[in-house]
Amino acid sequence: MACFLVSAGEALVVMGAKYIVRHQENKFALAVRSGEKASRDTTKFGAEVPWSKKLGYLELTLWGGAFLLAGEHVLHGEVVPYPPFLTAASSPEDTATMLHEMGTVGVTMAAVLTIAWGIGVLVVDYLKYSKHQKKMVSTAEGAK
Amino acid sequence: MYFLTALVCAIIAGILWLFFRDRKGLHLDVLTIIFGAASLMWLVDCFFTLADEGVFLSFDDPQDGWIALWTIAGGTFLWLILSFIFNFSGKTGDSVSKAK
Repeated sequence: MACFLVSAGEALVVMGAKYIVRHQENKFALAVRSGEKASRDTTKFGAEVPWSKKLGYLELTLWGGAFLLAGEHVLHGEVVPYPPFLTAASSPEDTATMLHEMGTVGVTMAAVLTIAWGIGVLVVDYLKYSKHQKKMVSTAEGAK
Repeated sequence: MYFLTALVCAIIAGILWLFFRDRKGLHLDVLTIIFGAASLMWLVDCFFTLADEGVFLSFDDPQDGWIALWTIAGGTFLWLILSFIFNFSGKTGDSVSKAK
């Protein structure tokens, strides 16, 4: 009925978090440039890809899924271009059903997307980390 | 049916991303993520339908074809818009890598 709204809501929260994290990263980069702080060790696990980029991928995942599902709901006639915009919001019984669906299906959808993103981030971080490790080993062997 | 459409689109986009992974300006990762996310969301929906009605996939809805068409068109449209924004905002894309 309106399960995509949960993902869209989470996407808004992630968008806000992304801008805060990006602001912190920019501040850190400026401090590094001015010599106030030492630069980050990008060979550490998970340090190569900045968190703002990782959150950007989560935001894209949530918005992308919510966008396509919103279209499906429009074609099913559950979302209309006039108030109250959701046909389920026209009666209290339907509203209760809609809220129940958002709390079950919608929350599960958002959780599954977030878990899938988490797994993706871990895999990418691991691949980058192992690449650095291999490079360090080959450099050490070359020095011998 | 639209779950299967999104899944097939995600697989095709993923294969294209693997083949053209050096061409960052195409942003095929974005296309794969859009279709992949929709597939996952509809997969969850399918499991809930299975629990409620005992049917995992249904092909009875007359709107199915239109929704499948929307899935392809909407995902491609969103990818084109986002690629345009990413390439011309100067954050990523071929123009930046060429300039470097």
